[in-house]
Formats: sequence, structure tokens, C-alpha cells
Amino acid sequence: MKAKIGVYICHCGSNIAKIVDCEAVREYISTLPEVAIARTYKYMCSNPGQDLIVQDIKEHGLQRVVVAACSPRMHERTFRAALQAAGLNPYMFEMANIREQCSWVHDDPQAATEKAKALAQAAVRRVVHHEALEQMTVDMCPNTLVIGAGIAGLTATLELAEAGQKVFLLEKQDHLGGNLARVDLTAPYLDSARDLLIERITRVRSSGNIELLLNSRLQQLQGYVGNFTATLSRTGHDGPGTGKIREIQVGNVIVCTGYREFAAERVTHFGYGKLPDVITSFDFEKMLQAGRIECCDGTIPKYAAIIHCVGSRSAEFHGYCSRVCCMTALKYVHEIKSAVPSCYVSDLYIDMHAFGKGHEDFYRRTSEVKTMFLMFGKGDHPIIRSAGPKDDCKMLIEVNEQLSGELIEIPADLVILMVGMEAQEDAMETARLVNISQDKEGWFIESHPKLDPVATTTDGIFIAGTCVAPKDIPDTVAQARAAAARILARIAKGKIAVDAVYAEISDDACSGCRICNELCPYSAIEYDDKKKRSHVISAMCKACGACVAACPSGAIKGRHFTDQQILAQIEGVLR
Amino acid sequence: MAIRVNPKIIDDLAVYGAEDVQLCYHCGNCSAVCPHADEFNVFPRKPMRNLQMGLEKKLERSLEPWLCYYCGQCSEQCPRGAEPGETMMSLRRWLTSRYDVTGLSRLFYRSWKAEMIAILVLALLTGVAFFLFGMLRGDIHVYSGPGAFLPSSAVHLFDWSMAGVLAALLFVNSLHMWRLVFGSKDGPKPNLFMYLKHLPQLPWHFLTQNRFRTCQERNGLWLIHLLLVASYLTMLVLIMFFLPTMQSGPEIRWTVHTFGYAASIGLIGATIFMLHGRLKKTRTQFQHSHKSDWLFLIMLVYVALTGVLQHIAHRAGFPVAANLVYIMHMMGVVPMLVLEVPFSKWSHLAYRPLAMYLAAVQRDALLGRSSQGGEILAPRRIA
Amino acid sequence: MSFEPRILGILCNWCSYAGADLAGTSRIHYPPNVRIIRVMCSARVDPTFVVKALVSGADGVLICGCHPGDCHYSEGNYKTMRRIPLLKKVLKDFGIEDERVRLEWISASEGQRFADIVKDMTERIRVLGPSHVACELHADPRER
Repeated sequence: MKAKIGVYICHCGSNIAKIVDCEAVREYISTLPEVAIARTYKYMCSNPGQDLIVQDIKEHGLQRVVVAACSPRMHERTFRAALQAAGLNPYMFEMANIREQCSWVHDDPQAATEKAKALAQAAVRRVVHHEALEQMTVDMCPNTLVIGAGIAGLTATLELAEAGQKVFLLEKQDHLGGNLARVDLTAPYLDSARDLLIERITRVRSSGNIELLLNSRLQQLQGYVGNFTATLSRTGHDGPGTGKIREIQVGNVIVCTGYREFAAERVTHFGYGKLPDVITSFDFEKMLQAGRIECCDGTIPKYAAIIHCVGSRSAEFHGYCSRVCCMTALKYVHEIKSAVPSCYVSDLYIDMHAFGKGHEDFYRRTSEVKTMFLMFGKGDHPIIRSAGPKDDCKMLIEVNEQLSGELIEIPADLVILMVGMEAQEDAMETARLVNISQDKEGWFIESHPKLDPVATTTDGIFIAGTCVAPKDIPDTVAQARAAAARILARIAKGKIAVDAVYAEISDDACSGCRICNELCPYSAIEYDDKKKRSHVISAMCKACGACVAACPSGAIKGRHFTDQQILAQIEGVLR
Repeated sequence: MAIRVNPKIIDDLAVYGAEDVQLCYHCGNCSAVCPHADEFNVFPRKPMRNLQMGLEKKLERSLEPWLCYYCGQCSEQCPRGAEPGETMMSLRRWLTSRYDVTGLSRLFYRSWKAEMIAILVLALLTGVAFFLFGMLRGDIHVYSGPGAFLPSSAVHLFDWSMAGVLAALLFVNSLHMWRLVFGSKDGPKPNLFMYLKHLPQLPWHFLTQNRFRTCQERNGLWLIHLLLVASYLTMLVLIMFFLPTMQSGPEIRWTVHTFGYAASIGLIGATIFMLHGRLKKTRTQFQHSHKSDWLFLIMLVYVALTGVLQHIAHRAGFPVAANLVYIMHMMGVVPMLVLEVPFSKWSHLAYRPLAMYLAAVQRDALLGRSSQGGEILAPRRIA
Repeated sequence: MSFEPRILGILCNWCSYAGADLAGTSRIHYPPNVRIIRVMCSARVDPTFVVKALVSGADGVLICGCHPGDCHYSEGNYKTMRRIPLLKKVLKDFGIEDERVRLEWISASEGQRFADIVKDMTERIRVLGPSHVACELHADPRER
């Protein structure tokens, strides 16, 4: 029987249409024998665009649908839902990526159009072989594991626990609060970080739904969304229970492992470690928490200097902006000016990033207290040296000031280096344990950077706070609550649909060689001694397809990625 | 070689009136709207930056504050309320005190109490001196002619002596200004031809304040300023050259007195306009008033009024009153001129045209240097 | 007209396909000679896929997976790492040049790297000329 396929080519406004001749693609695709309908439309993902598909399915009895538009990572789910709405199995769908992998990366319209034809044709060839698949649902274990008890972990934990759900809060250190516990006041409203934390910690400690696991680490995480088994071990200094292993059952995991500060020693030109009065922002926080701003010899500084972007926004170390240092630096100005009003403060920055709520006002207020703002160039840096005996200061900072174009020298008794944020040193280990990815800087990667910022590519694993990227407290708290809300919604449903894509072994074809058994990273393949055949435990299979490619007798079928489908696609794409 | 900054200079300037300069974040709107800023003189932004950074030497040799007539557009356009116009005004006060070799200017600008004391002491001394002189040499019942209480010949001599001293002081300070501008080793070195070529600019700017006109299409302040200057100069000429005629009488000498009346009306009118403006803050320029601004205006109006009163008393046939008011008039004139001309606000009558002249010479020197293939020292366009 | 190579890209869903998408969202241009299909893991790449591609007229096959140690399925790419060199050995016996089949690791954040690799591979195969496999199997595969 000839399949009835509908093909839809999206203009994506002008994103696709300005390079790819969508009409030519449509004409070409219409000539394929299986194609019943081929249309172009301005925005296929819009409601009218989806309605177009639904209508055509109903009116023309389409059996399969191809949409040539953006990346399937973007909208596959959208169109599958449209198929479902029209009563068609959602797996009778295939997408051709003619935006991210065609119109956005090519500048020759003719070549791009030819490529788009090939990609669309490949999708048509593939979809012919698609099969209707039924989604499975699994029970959702209502417990959640939160890794890291900084402000993000505490917030997410409270959100879940106060909704009545059990939370395991895992912290590798012996106290709660994470990096925020090392901070004195917060910008821009100068609230005490301690106040912010104490409130959370008290609530966490008094909640009956929270099991606090200090000095503990995650050893292993097995299972799948809704049904994870986490193995935890106690670390610490030979205390009671050190090395003890424990297993817990959780349905979801929130990773809130935070950041570590950039090591200022790595920047040699600031003399950190050599000049005793050159300190990092965290050294200074310690000083503020102790309540006395002083130089190493106990004298009160007459001149203080703050240097921004230490380790951040540089080609040598980290290219990214650490986002919180600018406002923290301004906070220091206020703290210095209120403790030592006679102190002259200079603030050496590359760009003043005052993007958040109340930040611009805060910047202005800092100007009002007569801060000497000095701009240095990206790629350039100030140089600090000891002052001579005639100078009335301890150090001199030489800087190529950008707003005046002058090479200047400023006096300083105390220099504060605004060290940026860095991924935790064990971030890679964490990522591997929970099976999520890191970007080139070591930050965890979101499922979608804009539309799905707290989920990851592994279902059931969520990320929040500064383990994702540098961010301030409000953003961190928002993410933590978002992750908790996502999990609460799933717990409320009680069940979760898992992808219908997994491997199947044909009893008839399986020779019982057991090559696949060892190959499976999830131990999802069992060997039946009686039948002398292997079979896949579908709920545990994650559909990587390693076994499919390895089976010498071709007995394993990777659902939705069958040999037939892929070979047809290869043929189609190389037309 | 790196320039050492002086972070304290900003506190110093605050005393001179630049209280908001640290708010500036260098968007450059001020220099963009300024009709006088160009690639050689990027102001107010550049002087503001030098001030924020405490680059004392750069500020000292800068002519830019004098090129500004304070139309106020920059302050109106400033998104941060950093008051660039007022900063330029404050820099003029600060520069005046820097040019002054005696240090008195600095004292008076920084302490209005010191200035008040100086005024009172000078006024008292003047009053006592003139009174004793009159009592010893003349008759208090006679105002003019033979036997006059304060004979015009004697006052004339006094006026000329005082003018000589003040002119000398102003000249020395102006010379100091020139030395600051061109004295540095690495600065531009104009040749004699450049100095001569631009010399006509001196009287031209002095008499017309022509640049002020170009920034005043909005409020006509230039006309009022010109009226004040013209009235003042008229009065100066009348006093220095026609004092016997001025003091004659009781009949009115229309040929001379017409000018006197006109100048008096001009002086009083312009001064009252400015006093009213500063009181009611009617214009951008009048938003901020330093103590020295008030003193200057009050003394000016006092001197003008006592001058008029003395004239009326004499013509009305009250010689004793006329003589007493004359002394009171001199008690205002002497401190006003002695303090204001070399040490305070009035010195701008010399510094402003001189700065414009020197700026023209400096520009030639800079262009000359670059055309010889040397390093271009013109300030980079950073506005 | 100059020879335009036809390259099949087989990319894993989690790292390399995302990396190629990133090249797109970052508007990093590369030659249109590569055409991409998606598999969940590079370990799904059956040697027959490569052979099929060469037979169907591909002048080169680019297989991309996550960096070793970063596989979404923990260790799938280690299998690929063994499988593809073995396949290349076999292909060599059939006279297929080594450079026609290439295995690369591309993470989700390496859009630029993906574009660079495509550029490089396209140039190399352009120098190599059309694959003889397709030529021998079909008189003119491109007319098929």
C-alpha cells in the first residue's frame, strides 16, 4: 500500500525562506510518489501552522507527516502533539532540519535549496517506514534528591518539602549554606546574607519531610525518571559513619552544586600571594564578617582599590562574565565608605554590568559616594607594585585608563580582586554520575537554554543555580523554585510517560550469543536461560542503539531507529 | 610615564562648587551638545574625567573651562545629573585660584568668611582713610570744586594708583596662566608668528564675547552679559578719564552724564536680573550659586546704587550726604575691585579672552607639530 | 564545473547534533556539502550505514559522537571508537581512502569545531576526488 504523506515546508518568517527557495523544495517533494500533499507556510510551529497539519490529516487521511523546518530538538514534540490531536500516532512523524543545519549555515541559495530538497526527501523516505508506537507510563516515586545545600538547594528543598514531599538534601560539607554562607552583605539592597540563609536553614532543620545528609556524596545513580536508586556515602574526617553506604529511592534529582571561586594565584600580574595587601573578594568578605577593614599590618587603609573581572572575561582564563562581581564590588565600596569614610576607593572595571533590578540605582548611589571609577581595556590589565618609601601608600596600580586615554598610577593600601565564578572541581564527576553534559567551561547544560532552563537532557535530572552558569541570588532562587515546581507537577500526576523508543529482541532471530548482554550500559538486557534467548527490559532501556548495531544476527530492533528507516534516510539524503 | 593621580582633588573641587562630578559616567552627551567643543577641546567631558581621576597637572594647564560660557545645555542633557556646566564653572574658580600667585584667591574661594573679613577690613580702612583725608584737607560741606571734601584730583590719583596695582596683579596672574599652559616640557611650543597672528583675538573677545553669542540662541543671556560689560567699561572710562566732570556740578553735564546714566541703568538692571535669576533659579546657569557669586553681585549692586545716590544727593543740594555716600561708595568700590579683579570672579575679564587667544595659538602649535610629521598631541576624540 | 563532494554526516543526538544546531544558531557558516542524519548515539552507527552511504553515492562519511567520557549513554562512544577504525581497515582493503570515513568528537557547545571539521573534510575530499565506489557500481550515480 502506498503511504499517504503530508509534507510541510516552513519559511520560519525569513529565517529559512531568505536562503532556501521553499517553493522549489515543495515542487520537488510533490513529485515523490508517496507524497499526497506538500505545502509551504510562514510559521509551521504557530497555531495556524499546526492546524494546517491537523486539518489535512482529517480531510485527506494523511498517514504520515514530514515537517521541514527547524531542528527536531526544538519542535519535534510540538508536531508530534499535533499529530496526536488529529488522531494519528505521534511517531508517524519526521522532521527535516533545514534551518539550523541549512539556511543558517549556508549562504549560497542554490546549494542550500538543493540541500533542503535532499533533507526533506530523506525525511519522506524515512517516514515511510515509521511504525505506530505506544508510549509507556511508569510510576513516579515522590521522593526527590537535592544535591548541594547552598541557597539553591535549600530553596528547592523547602519548596518540595513544604508541598508535602519527601526530600533528601545531600551536602558534601559539614554545614548548610554553601558559598552564600561566606558572604557578608548582598547587593544591591545590602541585606545580610546571614539573614537570608538563617531563615531557610531554620525551616529546613525543622521540617519533618527533609532528611539532611551532611558530609555525604552521591556514589552512584541508577534507574530512570521516576525510579532512581541513589547510592550515597558519608565522607568527612573519620567521624561516625564515615564511608557508610546507603541506598535511597527517588523519582527526581535536582543538582545544585554551585560554583567555586577563581583561584587568584593564577593571575600573576596582580601579585596575589606575594603582595600581602592584595586580597580576593572572599578574603575581604571574611574581613567584613569579622567587622574590621584593615591592611595586613593592622593599619586602616587610606586608599582602597577594587579590580573587576579577575579570571573572567579574559582570553587567558574564562571568557564569560561572572555576573555578580560588578555589584559585589559596588557593595564593597559602600561597606568601605561606611566603615572608613576617609578612605578613597577606586574601582577598576572593564565594563560596568548593572543589568539587574535595582542595579543601575545602586551604581548611581556608588558614584554619589565619590568612587573613582577607572576603566581598563579587555585584554589589558592593571599592574600592581609596591610603593616607594616617599609615597603615602603601600602600593601603586598602573592602568591604561580607557575613558581618558591616559596611563595613570593610583595609590592603594588594600587591593581587592573580584574573583569570578568557576565550575566546581568535581563538576565533571557529578555530571557523569547523574548523566548530564557540561559545556566547555564545565557548567551543566540545560535541555534548552531559553525554553527549558532547569531540565537536562536526562529526564528526571534537574539543575539549578550557579552549577548551570554564574548567576546572582534572585536568579538562583528562581531556578531552584522552577525545578521544584517541575517536579511537583510530575509528582501530582503520579505517573510519567517514557519514550516509546527502546530496543526489542526478536526471539526468532536471537541466537543467544549474549554479545549484547555485556554491551548494555544500563544492564537492560537479560538472558533467559530456559529459552536461551536474550530480551530487553524496556523500562530500563534508554535507546542508545549500541546493541542494535552490534547484534551479529540482526535480531535487535531499535524502535524508531530501525535499520530500514536509517538506510532509507541515507538513500534519500544522498539523492 | 604614568601620571600619578591625586584622589583628593575631587574633594578640593567640591569646595569650589563641583559637587556632582563623580556621577558622570562619560556618555559624552555634554560634549556633543556643546557648541564650542571640538576635536582639540573636548569639554566638558575631558576636564570632568581629569577631575574625577585627580589629574591635577592636566587640569592646571587646561584652557577648556574658559572656553565655556555656561549656557547650561550640557547640564540639561546630562542623564546622570553630574552638572557638567557647574563643574566647568567650578573649574574656572579653581583655576583662578591656581593662577593667583599670592594664594589669596584660594583662601577666599575656600572660605567665604575669610573673604567677608577681607571685605570688611578693606572697607573699614578705605572708609577711615577717606574720612580722615577729607577732614584734614577739605570741607565736608563742599562736594566738588575748590575745597571739596574729596577733591576729584586726589580721588583720580588714587584710582589710577589702584588701577595700576590691580592691573599689575592681574598681569602677573595672567602670565602664570600662560606659563601653566605652555610651560610643560612635552607640551606644544608655539612660535612668535603664531602669537602675533592671533593677537587681535584678545580685544575682539574682550569687547564682544562673540563666542557667548553662538551658544545663546535660546536665552539671550549674552546680550545681558554684554550690557553689563559695556556698562562697566563705560563707567571705567568715565571714572578714569572724566572724574572731574563727573564730580562737577551741581548742573548736569549731559555730554558726559548721559553715558553715566546709561551705564548705571545697565549695571543695576543686569545685576538685578542676575540676582533675581539666582534667587529664583530661573535658568540652568542659576541653579547653583557659590558664595562668591552672591558676594560679587551684592557688591556690584551696592556700588552702583551708592554711586547713583551720591549723584542724586549732590544734584539735589545735599553736599554732606553726598560726601558721606561718596565714602560709602568707595568703601564698596575698593574691596570689590581689589578682591574681585585679581583674585575672584572678575578676573575672568582677563582670563577668558586670554584663554581663547592661547587656545587658538595652542591649536596652531599642535597642528604645526603634526604637519611636521611629529606625534599628534591633539587630544584623542573620545567624546 | 568543479567537483562538489557529497558527505553524509551521522551525528549523535545529544552532543554532536546539538553542536551542529549550535553552529546554526551561532550562524557559523560551513560548506553545504555535508548532509546530516541523526542517531541517538554514535554506537548506533552500524557499519552497514557507512557502506550504504558509499554505495549510494557519498564521497565521504562523517561520524560524530560525544567526547570520550561525556557520552549520554556513559560509554556508547567507546564502542564507536573501536568499531569505526575496524571498519576503516576493511574499507581500505576495498581501496577506499582512509580520509573518506572520519570519526570526530563534537560536544553540544562546539558549534565552531563542527563547522571547522566540515570545512576541512570537504576540502580534503575535494582534493581526493569522487569516490570510485559509486562510480563503479553505477555508471553515473548522480543521474540516478
